[in-house]
Amino acid sequence: MSQHDRTHHAKIATGKGDPQCFKGTAGGPPKFKVGDRVRIKDLPDIFYTRCQVYTRGAIGEVAVVTHESPAPEDEAWGHVDHSEWFYIIRFKQKDLWPEYPDNFANDTLQTEFSERWLEAV
Amino acid sequence: MVEEISDFEALEIAVRELAIEKGLFTAEDHRRFTEFAEHIGPTPAARMVAKAWLDPAYKQQCLTDAIAASKAVGVDWLNPTGFGTPSDYTDLRVLEDTPTVHHVVVCTLCSCYPRPILGFQPEWYRTPNYRRRLVRWPRQVLAEFGLSLPAEVEIRVEDSNQKCRFIVMPVRPAGTEGWNEDQLTEIVTRDCLIGVALPKPGVTSNIEMPMHHAKNPAHH
Repeated sequence: MSQHDRTHHAKIATGKGDPQCFKGTAGGPPKFKVGDRVRIKDLPDIFYTRCQVYTRGAIGEVAVVTHESPAPEDEAWGHVDHSEWFYIIRFKQKDLWPEYPDNFANDTLQTEFSERWLEAV
Repeated sequence: MVEEISDFEALEIAVRELAIEKGLFTAEDHRRFTEFAEHIGPTPAARMVAKAWLDPAYKQQCLTDAIAASKAVGVDWLNPTGFGTPSDYTDLRVLEDTPTVHHVVVCTLCSCYPRPILGFQPEWYRTPNYRRRLVRWPRQVLAEFGLSLPAEVEIRVEDSNQKCRFIVMPVRPAGTEGWNEDQLTEIVTRDCLIGVALPKPGVTSNIEMPMHHAKNPAHH
């Protein structure tokens, strides 16, 4: 019977933090930089994702390059060998919700994605 | 009457009992952590904001390395209990309001919240009602909290859906000129740090409750 070490995560993250414990594991520099315009891909997901449906297909701008980490869609299954860069993307509310009131056109929303969800526009 | 428990409560009990049986922690550890976690309040985060209002260099540290800055207000983000129980790990970031940008935080997925520095979430923060409506109708939801901002102010919703946790650093309100750190800390309430309220002189997080004397007091 295989033994799964249930304290694995605590061992790597205690004292460092998570995502901090995955620093340097994405295998290269981030593909996007602050200010880049990106579209959120509408990828299939099975059982678990943190890419909210309301953002899919929308275009936004990179506000912060945050950290490296395995993507939650992998981590949910215990797959932590491959990391990606993460980005906080800023959207105009109007671009997320067509019915958003015109008189509040300045309003924005920010949320975070791993690199696999982003494509340059 | 039978006390009903939810599926999640049953799951929590099952996982906790298994963890205790496996020796990952003891029942005593669990009780201590529960007591610790339920005692954390928003005061450290309020003090962080007050210090930042008074000290530009500290403010800069809050914005660039909030985990280091939290140590100055007595929070060790990476080892918050001081007795070995890890935090949620995660990263901490401070969202700086300006006269033209106001931040408000939500987690549409569940209820992600910077607990080591802000304590437990208020009940409403966990509700699907707040979570699904704030991203789509932020002005209406803020108005329900009594906060109406002019159209010139950009409302920036932060959906905390990954490994960053956020607190809002509001703009220092007028009428607080010459105040010291303790005075400023008192007006930065929990709701100001989530972004559903703005700090106001005279509105504090430690309001004294009126004492109502019993009409038929018990005599000892």
